[in-house]
Amino acid sequence: MDIVRVNDRELHVDGDGFLQEPELWDEAVAAEFARLDGTGELGPKHWELINYIRGFWKDSDMAPTVRSLCKESGLKLKELYELFPKGPARGACKIAGLPKPDGCV
Amino acid sequence: MDGLIYLDNSATSFPKPQVVYDFMKEFYQSHGVSPGRSGFDKALEAEEVVHSTRKLLTELFNGTDPNHLTFSYNATDSLNRIIQGMISKGDHVITSNLEHNSVLRPLYHRKHEGDIDVTYVPFDTRGYIDPDDVKRAFRKNTRLVIINHSSNIIGTVQPVAEIGRYCREAGIYFAVDASQSAGAVPIDVKAMNIDLLAFTGHKCLMGPTGIGGSYVGENVPIKCTIFGGTGVRSAHPFHLDEFPYRMEAGTLNTVGVAGLYAGVKWVLGEGIDNIHSHEMRLWDKLRRGVQAIDGVTTYCADDTENQNPVLSLNIDGWLAGDAGTMLDVDHNIATRTGLQCAPLVHVHLGTDKLHGTVRFSVGPFNTEAEIDTAVEAVREIASMKK
Repeated sequence: MDIVRVNDRELHVDGDGFLQEPELWDEAVAAEFARLDGTGELGPKHWELINYIRGFWKDSDMAPTVRSLCKESGLKLKELYELFPKGPARGACKIAGLPKPDGCV
Repeated sequence: MDGLIYLDNSATSFPKPQVVYDFMKEFYQSHGVSPGRSGFDKALEAEEVVHSTRKLLTELFNGTDPNHLTFSYNATDSLNRIIQGMISKGDHVITSNLEHNSVLRPLYHRKHEGDIDVTYVPFDTRGYIDPDDVKRAFRKNTRLVIINHSSNIIGTVQPVAEIGRYCREAGIYFAVDASQSAGAVPIDVKAMNIDLLAFTGHKCLMGPTGIGGSYVGENVPIKCTIFGGTGVRSAHPFHLDEFPYRMEAGTLNTVGVAGLYAGVKWVLGEGIDNIHSHEMRLWDKLRRGVQAIDGVTTYCADDTENQNPVLSLNIDGWLAGDAGTMLDVDHNIATRTGLQCAPLVHVHLGTDKLHGTVRFSVGPFNTEAEIDTAVEAVREIASMKK
């Protein structure tokens, strides 16, 4: 398990950089994850999506579908990739502090 | 979802023929009782459908005794029963790099426990196993050869008849995983010297999920690995040794069996060759279309011979999962991305480093227009990274 330092804290992440203890997430964690994966500085549109993802996850224990992300943000998928170059799962959901989504990889 | 282009038929065929939905609904409403066991007329009628399905599948695979055609939840379930029922401590098993985790994982576990040794035969650049490689791997203690008839990632159909002949000559039991081939290409357990065949109902046989099975040859000494109710001779303390009971315990998924019956009837009515020809024509159109796009790499897709309609590809600049997301959300095309539960295929191809592939799998209800749309979608995604 790897460690990411955020301010004075040491956070455990898995081999793909997903936060292992989602309850430790805060905005500083998101900013650091965004810096590390090349997303860069987070703007209002980023935060709108991050907050939506976290709200959905808190309610359902699941990441939202990519379709719902596009619908919520009014962005086309291509624009979503421009916002989060690593994509909805490995980018937006990781920065939002969610565990790695299940999938056949 | 309106307008969905479904190209994930290797995961499960969808939609099913309307007769499957209709027959399941009618059967479960009129005959949703425990088949056979209770002895009243309705139960005996339900048992007739179960036995008719055993007979239908036995004929499809050219088996001999319908009682040796037994049901399970799915191919994984049957493969576990086959593997655990056939191998013992000290045995050697031969399998291939083409296998699904339904074979790999049961073998890994037994190997990890120190029970068995396993040899993995590779496939060539076109996606085929050389039967002589299998033969060369034979040892004195080789108990079982278990081979994936048709890869769920690259679709190549393996020369099981030749492998079966070698196994029979050497006195080694031969098992075939027909998850992707049963209902898609001819299977003849006698001519191919297949001792144990595992199949699922919800793919090319067009039945529902939750029903699969196996055919076990008449003289194959498979051990019982599941114990419980059989509905007959209940006072006997041990599970019954005769077929079908040796391979079954508990109440069957009768509505699943009924759906499988309707699915197989539909496949036979349409003709396996006709369905396969239609699907391969579309597969070839898809293959030629995407291979002409700059930045697209396909895997083991050279021609239509000994091939099922499964095509794996990658697009330069995109991880497989992201390309699949683009296909899904922007183009309404359902594919399967990632390692598709067969990790050794990807290690062999080097696609494990790309998080797998995007897999397109064609079914009987796909159309040429859908394939045209899929090719254009791949072209658009490929152009975005230039």
